[in-house]
Amino acid sequence: MDKPPISPALKCLAAIAFLFLLAPVLIVVPLSFSGDVFMSFPPKSWSGRWYAAILQNPKMLEAFLFSVKLAAGVTVVNLAIAVPASYALVRLAPRGAEAMTSLFTAPLLLPTIVLGLAMLIIFARIGLLATVPGLFVAHLVVTLPYVLRVISTALSTLPIAVEEAAATLGAAPATVFRRVTLPMMLPGLVAAGALSFLVSFDEVVLSLFMSGPRLSTLPVEMYHHVESRADPLVAAISVLLVVFTLAIVIVVDRSLGLAKTFVK
Amino acid sequence: MMHQAPTAMTIAEAGPVRGQGFLSLQALTRRYHDFVAVDAVDLDVAKGEFVSLLGPSGCGKTTTLRMIAGLVPASDGRIVVAGRDITAMPTYRRDMGLVFQSYALFPHMTVAGNVAFGLEMRGLPKAEIRTRVAEAIAMVRLDGREDRKPGQLSGGQQQRVALARALVIRPSILLLDEPLSNLDAKLREEMRNEIRDIQRRLGTTAIFVTHDQDEALTMSDRVVVMNHGHIEQIGTPEDLYERPASPFVAAFVGRTNRLEGVQQGATVTVSGLAIEAPIPKSGPVEVLVRPHRVHVAPHGAPPPAGRNRVDGTIRRATYAGNVVQYEIDAGSVTLTAEAATAGIGGLIPVGTAVTAAWAVEDTLVFGRPS
Repeated sequence: MDKPPISPALKCLAAIAFLFLLAPVLIVVPLSFSGDVFMSFPPKSWSGRWYAAILQNPKMLEAFLFSVKLAAGVTVVNLAIAVPASYALVRLAPRGAEAMTSLFTAPLLLPTIVLGLAMLIIFARIGLLATVPGLFVAHLVVTLPYVLRVISTALSTLPIAVEEAAATLGAAPATVFRRVTLPMMLPGLVAAGALSFLVSFDEVVLSLFMSGPRLSTLPVEMYHHVESRADPLVAAISVLLVVFTLAIVIVVDRSLGLAKTFVK
Repeated sequence: MMHQAPTAMTIAEAGPVRGQGFLSLQALTRRYHDFVAVDAVDLDVAKGEFVSLLGPSGCGKTTTLRMIAGLVPASDGRIVVAGRDITAMPTYRRDMGLVFQSYALFPHMTVAGNVAFGLEMRGLPKAEIRTRVAEAIAMVRLDGREDRKPGQLSGGQQQRVALARALVIRPSILLLDEPLSNLDAKLREEMRNEIRDIQRRLGTTAIFVTHDQDEALTMSDRVVVMNHGHIEQIGTPEDLYERPASPFVAAFVGRTNRLEGVQQGATVTVSGLAIEAPIPKSGPVEVLVRPHRVHVAPHGAPPPAGRNRVDGTIRRATYAGNVVQYEIDAGSVTLTAEAATAGIGGLIPVGTAVTAAWAVEDTLVFGRPS
């Protein structure tokens, strides 16, 4: 397809916007290779010592592993809830489906701090504070809206005629769903899964409320580290996190095509 | 227009006895709240017959087809196939093949996978599936493309896969929902013949939904003209064209001149002109005449055949290669006539005084509310 030419002014503007968005991330990279004891920019000396320091920090490693497990678990449960929920909302379209969708996606609009405070009060009373189930539920609440939104959109853009065709060919509803609907939704499922994983992995506010001395996610652990010390360790971790996130996005992109997955 | 060779006249002439068809719709109705989309439709289709549902959009033809397929539940009435009431049967047990306007192929399966789907649902042995899929793909001339995905095929090829997929299950009835509408004109004509040939060869009963009168006339044994949720007329293409049951059918199937007048006995008076009607009656009427049945000759030339005559002047001549259309100004009325062209210099120039004439049998007269 021929695209209209982009004017130099627009290119320039785009470059500035990208720089604005990426500058903080880019500054972290040189910081992480600092040889100094304190974070300062630009670093006075260079080394890889802070990367090595990560491996010597069991607290960080443990928090990282826990964050990965938590995000993975949250993602699995999210998909298990959102796929049937979306099917009910979109395909069966009961009375009030739109109102329900709005309700389910409301946590997206609420300030997370308000949500965190509410959960803190409730969870403290029922003894879920600083427990794995408590953290799990908290993450589920903030990630489910994304997952539901993406999967509902994926489902509602599927041409229903294809499912009808399967039914005329003799497929019972469950078979239609398994053999036709689900495979056609796959890009949406992968996108929703990736989104759920990344949002959970990155979640700070709720995790701060819900974590405790012996239960901490990686972002919380990093936050505490920055509070008490000013060494460039977190910069090194940040770079690894950027690489980790990019890796997920690239895997998704390679397997399905980024545009197809995220832009619907 | 076209002259149909009288094909399959035996079944086409009468159609099955009411309520006795292989497919029988009995007072089939679909309501959406206050809106009646399909209003007590009765239709009987014989085994092996090709019947079109023809009408403007919103006439209920697609809803009728979808009720036959079980995709839309009937509000009232019955659907009977081979003597069995299937009104409440779910779609997946109905054993019907449906070809959609949008093709509706499974995008994640290959051509062979698409065609095999219905056979897999029937739990047939792998070897049999393989042979039947190969046969079906050969039938629509797509051999060698078995492993392509639908996205890699042209529109016409996709529709042929859809046809193979619907036919490979040997459906009791083949349903076609405007299957040619997304194809370009040339391909449409080719697919028309292909669908008709295959349907005849397999002897499959087919219901074809279309808004295109050409498609309906050229493909069908019988055509059902629908309007506002009810049937205007059921008949062979020739019936509809030559003996339309209503002005709606006359206007929808082919073009027509329309004059309003008052009939007394055998004579209709249209703004001072006397036109002879084939059947005597009295009251306000509309008179319809097909343009190509109106013969035009220069005034003074030997009068053209036919007993109804109107004198006038050619106001416009539209040359379309095979035919030429004359707009004749006859004072109080305007008539359109269409004549086949015959070599260079055969056109009647604009402004020529002419006599337009047509046979009394070609005069269609319908009563109209005064």
